[in-house]
Amino acid sequence: MKLICSISAFFLFMVTLPGGICMGKGTSDLALLLPETILGWKVAREDGRYGRDTLYDYIDGGAELFLSYGFKRVINRTYVQANQPDMVVDIFDMDTSQNAYGVFSHSMETVENRFGQGSQSSEGLVLFWKGPYYISIMAHPETAESKKALIDLAKKIEGAIAEEGPLPELLTLLPQRGLARESIRSFHHHAWLNSHYFVADQNILHIDNTTDALLAKYGEGKKRSLLLLVLYRDEKAAQRAYDNFVKQYLPELSQKKSVKIEDGTWTACHLAGSLLIAVFNAPQEDQAVHLIDEVKKRLGQKGEDHER
Amino acid sequence: MKDRCRTRREFLKDTTSAALAGSLYLSTPLGVFAQPSVKTRVVLVRNKEVIDNYNKPNERVVQQMLDEAVTALLDEKDPVQAWKKLLKPTDVVGIKSNEWKPINTPPELEKAIQRRVEGAGVPEKNIGINDRGARNDPLFMNSTALINVRPLRTHHWSGVGTLIKNYIIFADDPSYYHPDTCADLATIWEFPVLKGKTRLNILVLFTPLFHGIGPHHFAPKYTWAYKGLLVGLDPVAVDATGVRILLAKRKAFFGEERPLNPPPKHVLLADTRHHLGTADPGKIELITIGWKDDILI
Repeated sequence: MKLICSISAFFLFMVTLPGGICMGKGTSDLALLLPETILGWKVAREDGRYGRDTLYDYIDGGAELFLSYGFKRVINRTYVQANQPDMVVDIFDMDTSQNAYGVFSHSMETVENRFGQGSQSSEGLVLFWKGPYYISIMAHPETAESKKALIDLAKKIEGAIAEEGPLPELLTLLPQRGLARESIRSFHHHAWLNSHYFVADQNILHIDNTTDALLAKYGEGKKRSLLLLVLYRDEKAAQRAYDNFVKQYLPELSQKKSVKIEDGTWTACHLAGSLLIAVFNAPQEDQAVHLIDEVKKRLGQKGEDHER
Repeated sequence: MKDRCRTRREFLKDTTSAALAGSLYLSTPLGVFAQPSVKTRVVLVRNKEVIDNYNKPNERVVQQMLDEAVTALLDEKDPVQAWKKLLKPTDVVGIKSNEWKPINTPPELEKAIQRRVEGAGVPEKNIGINDRGARNDPLFMNSTALINVRPLRTHHWSGVGTLIKNYIIFADDPSYYHPDTCADLATIWEFPVLKGKTRLNILVLFTPLFHGIGPHHFAPKYTWAYKGLLVGLDPVAVDATGVRILLAKRKAFFGEERPLNPPPKHVLLADTRHHLGTADPGKIELITIGWKDDILI
């Protein structure tokens, strides 16, 4: 419990730093964040509005992704202009900025800061997040005019969202050296554990909506290490998850700090109170151990947690 | 339904049972598979000319590719004779298409299929093409034969949009099939309106989507002009072959392992749990026709 309190105090300190980010507040009507026209494009029809019970009507298979990130509601608006592609904008209210970041991180391929608190753009598409909102703007096939309008619309929405919001607390525990920022994934559903590296097709780490999980790559080249952090609701839950993981995936770990698996890479796992730290795919043993040690340093608890 | 856990380490140990899942989740080598004498045939046909620079399909080439695939699949020289092996003139034929906007079943392919169905002696009034309306389409309700045709793409929640998944529209409540990342989609094929009716499965790989981003799971940069069709009688075998091509493309594009996420569990379980067909590459006879550059399989 002492460790959990320490982590909480650490996070509280990080998110209230002077000049840092502050809590975002949701708007009552998402339509207020959208303009009526944009460089000649006009609203095509009545906006679509969906909540947790009706999201399937809008993005059937995709609904599960958003629901797993605490989705609250979405507004969908289509803008049209003659001889131009339709411009489709969605503003997802994810309830908290941490969830908005999480769903954004799910498909993050590049790190950009053009819009909001983080953005990603490619041909005919802009994705960004700010405060509790995750925004998607699409216009296919892209034209010179639609490209300009897409950027203009993103700026207008960004400006209409009053405040930024805090990032997931666990991010502060990621060692910075060698971190591939575009690879960070924040999630609360076990399906996303396999985002970069297939581990198992069942929930062997007990990741669910009561846990916060982060996954990130380190290093360069084809064989990069992966760091996984999972913060459980309490130490008992963390212990159960750790025990199950060791039993199902890494039985040799009871005798060692890290294990060389069948493809020659190293896997390590460590429990620090309610935080599980795991490293996969490390080319060398010391790299696996080093990443875990770095997280422990950041926790400020090296040597005080459960040594295994 | 509870299923045993499959882990990365199990795949790497190279056991036969693990290798099947490994081929769908990790693109592991195929050497460990048994080589049975009777295999399910899947035909991959590719043609450089099938789409133009704007991805517009060429109707003549589409017809040619379909004919090449079906004749190879059924060991026939003449496409009309081949289709007569699949259908009889008294059949009522539903062509189950897919209208997802960014990448749909090309109308040129729907027409090519319809032409051959008519060539098999089925009157036009007994042929229907539908996707989202198929569930309430009287022709589909009364159909005696189905042709299942859709584009190959990655999918938010099932890992891959497959032929197996293309019948989800016949479910009262599609979200009922969402648990465990759509693991048991193959059970849909047991619905009375569908069971035993599918005569041909066609997976369209003109411009497959190999990675999805954003709420609509689409960005043009993650499509590529593969210019192929995968055709077979066994939907699971065709889907499993498509998954292997997607995995190979992801590895080539990203320069490192990038598993499909979520893993396409429903394709594996369509074989091992529901016995709809085979996902085992060792039990699939893959015939390739046409353009071979960057074939990825």
